[in-house]
Amino acid sequence: MPPRRAARGASSPAHGEQLPWAVIYYQAPDGTMPALAFLDDCPGKIDAEFIAVLDAVAAAPPPRFSGGGKWEAMHGDMGSWYEIRLTGPGREQFRLFCLLENGTAGELARRGLPRPAIAVMTGMRKPWRTTFSDRDYQRVRELGDEHRKNHPRRIAT
Amino acid sequence: MYHLRNTPERVMADSTMLDVSMHERRRARRMEDPEYRLAYERVARELAQTDAVIRDLDSLRVDLGISKAELARRASRNASSVRRLFTASHVRPEFPLIAALADALGADLRVVRRTDTRPAVRDGSAKARAAAIS
Repeated sequence: MPPRRAARGASSPAHGEQLPWAVIYYQAPDGTMPALAFLDDCPGKIDAEFIAVLDAVAAAPPPRFSGGGKWEAMHGDMGSWYEIRLTGPGREQFRLFCLLENGTAGELARRGLPRPAIAVMTGMRKPWRTTFSDRDYQRVRELGDEHRKNHPRRIAT
Repeated sequence: MYHLRNTPERVMADSTMLDVSMHERRRARRMEDPEYRLAYERVARELAQTDAVIRDLDSLRVDLGISKAELARRASRNASSVRRLFTASHVRPEFPLIAALADALGADLRVVRRTDTRPAVRDGSAKARAAAIS
């Protein structure tokens, strides 16, 4: 499915620094939107908390401190990724995986982005005191690899 | 499920740019649920307070011309902990660390009661909060 484009107007990458970053949601080649599907499936309070963290980080993006400590840079194989870590009912663990879309105005334009953005890729949940497998994280990275190949990006509109 | 609307952002967006308004449209739709709105606003206030404390400490550090490493030394803390704290690359800032950094910067942390009309939350349930506000 080709990305849907918006109507003609005036917002330009040059204005990116003056606006909060956008929050965009990855769309897979088959049209599914893993992050939105994950959020829709979360308890309402968890969804609300994820959105509040995203809004806080978009308003004061890295390297500034924001997100109340719930927004965390990942390391190792997940370097360049960020996650939002929340605890839900019964201590169930909820994670939302994100990438940052930043660069020169020209690079952002190549990606089809009017301003820098947080790209929300997918989410996962697990019982307390369990871990995600390497395969789980590999699947997340594969989404990121696919996303970053797209110019313009394929996102939910 | 995700409906298109002519939001200002859609209209303003350049024709060569993607429409990035999905987040705002979804949030607006979800906020029509009073319990969702209460949960969002409560979390947003908590995040804002945490973020403000960390940023204020970092601003004070910069105003005083103290490096992160020097601040860590003065607070007898690990330099990487302080660096991670101020760059949001470490989860869950711990109060003892925040208090130690404030002390090292010659500052106090205070709890100030709100002067606006928002009620203190006594019952954790969204239903109770909704009742308190209505």
